[in-house]
Amino acid sequence: MNNPVLNKPITIALAGQPNTGKSTVFNRLTGAKQHVGNWPGKTVEQKSGLFTYNNNKHHVVDLPGTYSLTSNSLEEQIARDFIVNEKPDVVVVMADASQLERTLYLLTEIRLLSVPVVVALNMIDIAEEQGKTIDSVKLESQLGIRVVPMAAAKGRGIDLLLEAVENAAAGGVCTSTEQSVAGNPYYKSIRSIISGKFDGVCSEQWMTVKLIEGDSKAVETVKNTLSAADWKSLKELLDKIENGQLITAGARYSWINDVLSSVVNREGESTAKRRGVKFDRAATHPVVGKMIALLIMVLSFAMAMIIVMPIMGLVQSVIPGLVELVRETFSGSSLWFGSLLADGLIPGLFVAFMMLCYVFGVYIVFGLLEDIGYLSRMAYVFDSSMSKIGLHGKSVMPLLMSFGCNIAGVTGTRVIDSWQQRMVTLVLVSIVPCMALWAVVSFMGTIFFAAAMPLVVLSLLLVMVLHISLTSAVLRKFVVKGETTGLIMELPPYHKPNWRTIWGHVWVQVKAFLKRAFTLIAALSIIVWALSYQQDGNMGNSILASIGRFFDPISSFLGLDWRLFIALLAAIIAKEASLSVIAVLYGLGAGAVSITSLLIPGSGGFEEAALIGTIAQSVSPASALAFIFAFFFSIPCLGTVATIHSETKSLKWTIGASLYYTVTSLVLGGLAYRVGLLIF
Amino acid sequence: MKSLDRLLKGQQGVIAYLTGGRKFLSRITAMGFTPDVMVSVVRNGGRGPIIASLRDTEVALGRGEAAKIMIKGDSCE
Ligand SMILES: Nc1nc2c(ncn2[C@@H]2O[C@H](COP(=O)(O)OP(=O)(O)O)[C@@H](O)[C@H]2O)c(=O)[nH]1
Repeated sequence: MNNPVLNKPITIALAGQPNTGKSTVFNRLTGAKQHVGNWPGKTVEQKSGLFTYNNNKHHVVDLPGTYSLTSNSLEEQIARDFIVNEKPDVVVVMADASQLERTLYLLTEIRLLSVPVVVALNMIDIAEEQGKTIDSVKLESQLGIRVVPMAAAKGRGIDLLLEAVENAAAGGVCTSTEQSVAGNPYYKSIRSIISGKFDGVCSEQWMTVKLIEGDSKAVETVKNTLSAADWKSLKELLDKIENGQLITAGARYSWINDVLSSVVNREGESTAKRRGVKFDRAATHPVVGKMIALLIMVLSFAMAMIIVMPIMGLVQSVIPGLVELVRETFSGSSLWFGSLLADGLIPGLFVAFMMLCYVFGVYIVFGLLEDIGYLSRMAYVFDSSMSKIGLHGKSVMPLLMSFGCNIAGVTGTRVIDSWQQRMVTLVLVSIVPCMALWAVVSFMGTIFFAAAMPLVVLSLLLVMVLHISLTSAVLRKFVVKGETTGLIMELPPYHKPNWRTIWGHVWVQVKAFLKRAFTLIAALSIIVWALSYQQDGNMGNSILASIGRFFDPISSFLGLDWRLFIALLAAIIAKEASLSVIAVLYGLGAGAVSITSLLIPGSGGFEEAALIGTIAQSVSPASALAFIFAFFFSIPCLGTVATIHSETKSLKWTIGASLYYTVTSLVLGGLAYRVGLLIF
Repeated sequence: MKSLDRLLKGQQGVIAYLTGGRKFLSRITAMGFTPDVMVSVVRNGGRGPIIASLRDTEVALGRGEAAKIMIKGDSCE
């Protein structure tokens, strides 16, 4: 190849409809060298990465997966703006060989822009399996664009793609006309009015087609560019066009069909079968499908726990030794510093690590379900149930993930394409109890309600459903108003799991969690450590205790004393820690010099039996009920709050949601107390 | 002429026209729903969303959405 060694990296924009294998290609190209952030000022994820090929640096930007390039959705707008404003050297457009007709639709739009384009014809292996043969050489000559057949999941075709990208970047643009839309009676006259005005990436032909389509952004741009007289005559033309959207879309598909008629050979198709047809029949059945979904969820969480339990156990077993070691090292002059590490920082980091394990487990499992194509079926099957609380089926996934870990639930809302629906779901997911919460609930519950415990759990779940429905209604009525569009969702074909892809997704999430939550949790645990540090271990004298007493009016509304109230507060760092906090505050634990040292399981140094005895004596059943309810619906852990912030990029939403959870949890606790007083 | 949500499981037909706002039309056409294309219904339980199949793709549609898609010449398979 006679490419000069360029100093400036070649910028590649990766465009494609969802499920065409875009992430797979992106991961193959960049390997671990990825940067994940958000599009400037947007809540949409941006992935980019660097790699070197043929001594040239390449910068790949993963555009949001979109079905088309209108200006109607945020994702489409982002993808379009990037191509138009950043002028990438090459745009790689993904197409799925097994669903070529539909997945070429995006190409029909992108090819009108003045940018070099390469088509990545992915999933060739699946098309073969289905008995379709695709003549990619013919496709290439028909399109006038380089076409690279690929099976990205197996790594096939990546080298060819790179070579094609480099040639395209060096070769420049080959513009093509959209013959079929050009046949539109208004095409010529519209184009002649705007002639000479658009010579950037946004070419004249692109603009003309977008005007026929009635694209609001294009209309606005043209209006600002033309003279008043020109605009007037253009407007007259545009007003005459009826169904511009339908006409252009129809023209695009008939063009695609023309191109494909001699390219795709479907002769072998009748004998081959789509994968998983039988399973799909059950999975999308209104009743059986729901049962299958619930069964899969239960199995999935079990599997997630089986994966992470050994890691958690291992870390748990070495931590006490580590803490001892640190204490001894600083046992001389800087006792307080040793305590800061041993009782503050290490326990904090430990908690963050435990959260990481939950997040990791949930992501692996849901990543697998997503990768094989099952999740969209689940969304389908639950759509009618979810519509009762004003949401789409897609919201069911983050809500279910939340039962494992609220953090995963919050990031899971990314699959939801409407902003309004996404924000509502994002607030709802933290009302769902995470796995860590049940230990405390069942401990407290069995002390007081023994046989009636199932009833307590049932009422908790009922209140949860009510809480979710009401919150959703309130949010949709007052906060994120806007029309709800109904369900339009592709059900992608089933795939064999591709562990590389799954691992790629999980790793990105794990890294993001490390970045945002670790420092925050570590910082907060040091603060709490400082507030509760008492060398003699009598935490009743600490600042934290005074804070707890300060809130007495609130606690008494719930029938709680300051100790149980502090236990509620401690739940913000980690739900699991609440039990040992209670034990120590009731004077049972020994050797704890601060609340945070209790974040490590078994560190309270208390006998469970003693704790049960003490609590049973000093807490009334009504108060216990109040505690359980307040705890169950309390503000999610700090990791979740941090995630809400990183997902919404909005302090207002983060603080608003946190306050909302706090107030509702106290109110529900208070109500539970009153009800408890009536019953007991 | 019937709307798509009235087609039973297994029935198919050709799209005559689509109604609805800009946003809806742009999404639904990008999914492959345009006049003159053949659609078949894979699942329709009478309530809840339906599943339609066209252009080698399966798409889940809310009933309201399906009602905006008009079908001509529907037939049982
Ligand atoms: N058989 C096969 N599967 C693929 C290929 N490329 C991607 N996949 C799988 O297709 C699914 C969707 O891929 P993904 O990269 O997540 O798609 P995206 O939504 O476009 O980012 C995943 O299960 C991939 O493992 C391919 O060439 N052949």
